Amino acid sequence: MIRVRRTSAYLLLGLLSVAVLVPFAWMVSSSLKADADVFSVPVRWIPAEFHWGNFSAIWGRIPLLTYLRNSVFLSVTITALQVLTGSFAAYGFAKVRFPGRDALFLAYIATIAVPWQAYMVPQYVIMQKAGLVNTHLSLILLQAFSAFGVFLMRQYYLTIPDELSEAARLDGLSEYGIWARIILPLSKPALASLALLTFVNTWNDYMGPFIYLTDNNLWTIQLGLRSFVGLYDAEYAMIMTGSVLSVLPILVIFLLGQKYFVQGIATSGMK
Amino acid sequence: MTATVSAPRQVRPPVPAPRPVRRRSRTWVGWSFILPNFIGFAALTLVPVIASLALSFLDWDSYSTPRWVGLDNFERMIHNDTFWTALKNTAYYAVGHVPLTLCAALGFAVLLNQKLKGARFFRTALFFPYITSLVAVAVVWNMLLSPESGPVNQFLRAVGIDHPPGWTTSTTWAMPAVIVASVWRDLGYYMILYLAGLQTIPAELYEAAQVDGASGWQRFRHITVPGLRPTTFFVLIMLTISSFKVFDLIQVMTEGGPGRATLVLSQVIYREGIVQGRFGYSSAVSMVLFVIVLTITVVQFRLQRRSER
Amino acid sequence: MKRHLVSILAGASALALLAGCGGSSNGPAADGPQTIKVALWNYATTPEFKAIIDGFQQANPQIKVEPVDILADDYAEKVTTMLAGGDSTDVLTMKNVIDYARFGTRGQLLPLTDQAKALDPAKYSGLKAYELDGKYFALPYRQDFWVLYYNKTLLEQAGVPESKLQNLTWADYATLAKSLTKGDGPAKVYGAYQHTWRSVVEATAAAQTGGDLLGGDYGFFKDQYTMTLDLQKDGALLPWATARSQKVTYNTMFSTGKAALMPMGTWYASTLLADTKSGKTKVAWGMAPLPQRTADGKVTTFGSPTAFAVNKNSKHADAAKKFVEWASSEAGATTVAKAGVTPSLQSQQILDTYFALPGVPGDAVAKKAFKPDTVVLEMPVGDKSSDVDQILTEEHELIMTGQKSLDDGLAEMAKRVKNEVR
Repeated sequence: MIRVRRTSAYLLLGLLSVAVLVPFAWMVSSSLKADADVFSVPVRWIPAEFHWGNFSAIWGRIPLLTYLRNSVFLSVTITALQVLTGSFAAYGFAKVRFPGRDALFLAYIATIAVPWQAYMVPQYVIMQKAGLVNTHLSLILLQAFSAFGVFLMRQYYLTIPDELSEAARLDGLSEYGIWARIILPLSKPALASLALLTFVNTWNDYMGPFIYLTDNNLWTIQLGLRSFVGLYDAEYAMIMTGSVLSVLPILVIFLLGQKYFVQGIATSGMK
Repeated sequence: MTATVSAPRQVRPPVPAPRPVRRRSRTWVGWSFILPNFIGFAALTLVPVIASLALSFLDWDSYSTPRWVGLDNFERMIHNDTFWTALKNTAYYAVGHVPLTLCAALGFAVLLNQKLKGARFFRTALFFPYITSLVAVAVVWNMLLSPESGPVNQFLRAVGIDHPPGWTTSTTWAMPAVIVASVWRDLGYYMILYLAGLQTIPAELYEAAQVDGASGWQRFRHITVPGLRPTTFFVLIMLTISSFKVFDLIQVMTEGGPGRATLVLSQVIYREGIVQGRFGYSSAVSMVLFVIVLTITVVQFRLQRRSER
Repeated sequence: MKRHLVSILAGASALALLAGCGGSSNGPAADGPQTIKVALWNYATTPEFKAIIDGFQQANPQIKVEPVDILADDYAEKVTTMLAGGDSTDVLTMKNVIDYARFGTRGQLLPLTDQAKALDPAKYSGLKAYELDGKYFALPYRQDFWVLYYNKTLLEQAGVPESKLQNLTWADYATLAKSLTKGDGPAKVYGAYQHTWRSVVEATAAAQTGGDLLGGDYGFFKDQYTMTLDLQKDGALLPWATARSQKVTYNTMFSTGKAALMPMGTWYASTLLADTKSGKTKVAWGMAPLPQRTADGKVTTFGSPTAFAVNKNSKHADAAKKFVEWASSEAGATTVAKAGVTPSLQSQQILDTYFALPGVPGDAVAKKAFKPDTVVLEMPVGDKSSDVDQILTEEHELIMTGQKSLDDGLAEMAKRVKNEVR
């Protein structure tokens, strides 16, 4: 009985993984083709001729290293700030009762409900007045304090029983101490998922860097890739080469972070 | 550590009597936690959002002095056919996208939280669509769903359906095609949130239930689902909001077409605002989107409160 | 472990605040040589920008020009946002006339009426498009118009003499496209490729029948659509739905020899020149006049100009105006032609400069293609233009995918333009 269930689970997962990986496979396969073969109709999954040269040529075509460095810098900083301030604020929303708290929280969620396209111009005007346009700081300030992180961490903190912090309070710990010593270590899975999702979103963001960054040496990988698409719109093989390379750092982060949201390892790892 | 994790929390414990701390100082402590985030949030998100919503009562082209026009923008909107089409399409998308993604994400999270051989691989694989380049996603989905030569329609013909749908080139089937692609893309994202949520459910509860002879379904129904309630609440709200705001995937897959078959509100906001420079009207549409989403969110909040009591 | 986590987070965010301030933009230059900034797109692959800037700097050594490179796809969005924030980039390139009208009527550009009035409208193709209530805010330096590109090898294989293309009607074009179609599956060669843009059908029809794209009655589209739909049904065109959903690029279709005939703008010639030079394509190509409704020898095509304008917030307005004037002058036009692009200023001398470029097909057919009798503006300028454009685009999709019959589609266009555009 159990074996049947296992087998069918594997079968389902196997099929699904294929379905899920097909576009990625297309990306990889295209990155090894000549440009003119990428959009052939019907599609060719295995390149007629492997162009491994794409992977070495791209470094000379665009300043990929600069782009990668900028992306890493922005993603790491924004993720760190988001996780830090987000989890800190979430403690206030989840564990401290004070008047006006729920209204304030609603204001946070309400802003998520407005599409960015609607307020990007007012936001830009503020940034321009502050003289921050065309700096990395503008993007950091824009994305590091998003409501998303606060909301996610608050929901997670709600599942941590109050008597834990109550006991710590009786031991004489301050609220800040409780956050740092009790709550933060307990919320590793949530911190890991918030960090991962923030990292991925920052890494893949295009419109923000496009609007705010003009100097080429400040550009991120997504902006660099899109500009490459715009410049050489027929060089799809090279575009896909760039896309494959741009995904690799996320893959590494994912594999590293994975152990934090999987049962067993996460609980035994907490000390 | 295991000791703390296994603290009983199946039923929410009664809130302990508040310590004799003055209200004032409690408020101060609360704000001190929120402030570091709030300063950045208020200056760069809250203020622009309020400004943009206020614009819906103005006529503004991003350059000249804004002019008060009262409800003119809204009046123009309710008489505009494109607005209603986009509103209907957005609702259609949300109704399809939210439940499907929620169930799929929850299902796979539960499945992949078990000690399954290769779970690591599958977890990574399921997250892939979210990080694959949007261009690749659009191209491959359009190719799979290609009316003449696509594998999907070839399969449908093989099983005896003579006139399979034209998918993204058909006004009837474009939206379902977009919904399927979007569920596929977002699945891994929400699965991550559920995996984190699952870590809060103590293993002891499952062990105890197994001893009592509860079936797999019963364990899922009576332990997993209640234990994941805060996560589900979060996922539900984020999913609802994000599906009402959907933009990128539709932009690359169909650009709102064919015709206006997949045109959604965010695209209208984008076109009217940043492309056409009619910021007042664009903000009026944002306002509608905002009110709809906020209403749904508040209802969800109320329901959650009630279920907690 | 936990203290570790906190200190890492705190450290990283402190670092962020310290290090984040790099790369602020330069302030305006005080004395000495002036520097003006020019907003443009795709600097690396749009050769005329560099040519114009170099030429201008040579003629005006006291002014330095700095390009502000913006992605072409989202150029208008970025410029709109920049101007809303009060940006002071001196010169703005006007990518199309509709955006120009928007910036101009809002008062975001400096008037250049005197400079424009000094130009001879008979020689400057497209100049009139920049008139807004008697005023001008930009001077055109470039004018593209549509021609018919053809693959010499495929024509030769089919035994079609190139001279036949000199005086083609749309009916001839359709017959030719059908006869040039051959092969099957991946090896299929299409007789023609018509890109997914609505202009391929609609602007052609408007230019050649004299129909009004903003008028609200679109019966004049009918012949052009009938021909296109017939070719598509016959298999002589890559189906519109396939081209659209698989994001087929026209360059791939033509330069890899998958299509024998292709109506396209003159800008494509500069791509072909560059790609041939770099060895990226080996296609033997020629240019012919756009096919006509009747074979009376007169050529009517459509096109759109590109212009430079001066930002109202510019701190170096005089230097910026100098740049704009130079680009549209005789010297500027020669520079543009040498870069393989068709300048706005048309004269025999400029044409000769263009055809003297290595790689440009210099036969009689190509020369005729480059001397159209009439070039109609692709989309008339008006405050309704972009709304009408949107509606026409949407209905074009429905007609081309077969979701609506041609008659229903045309009727719907008329109805929507009347009801929705104010």
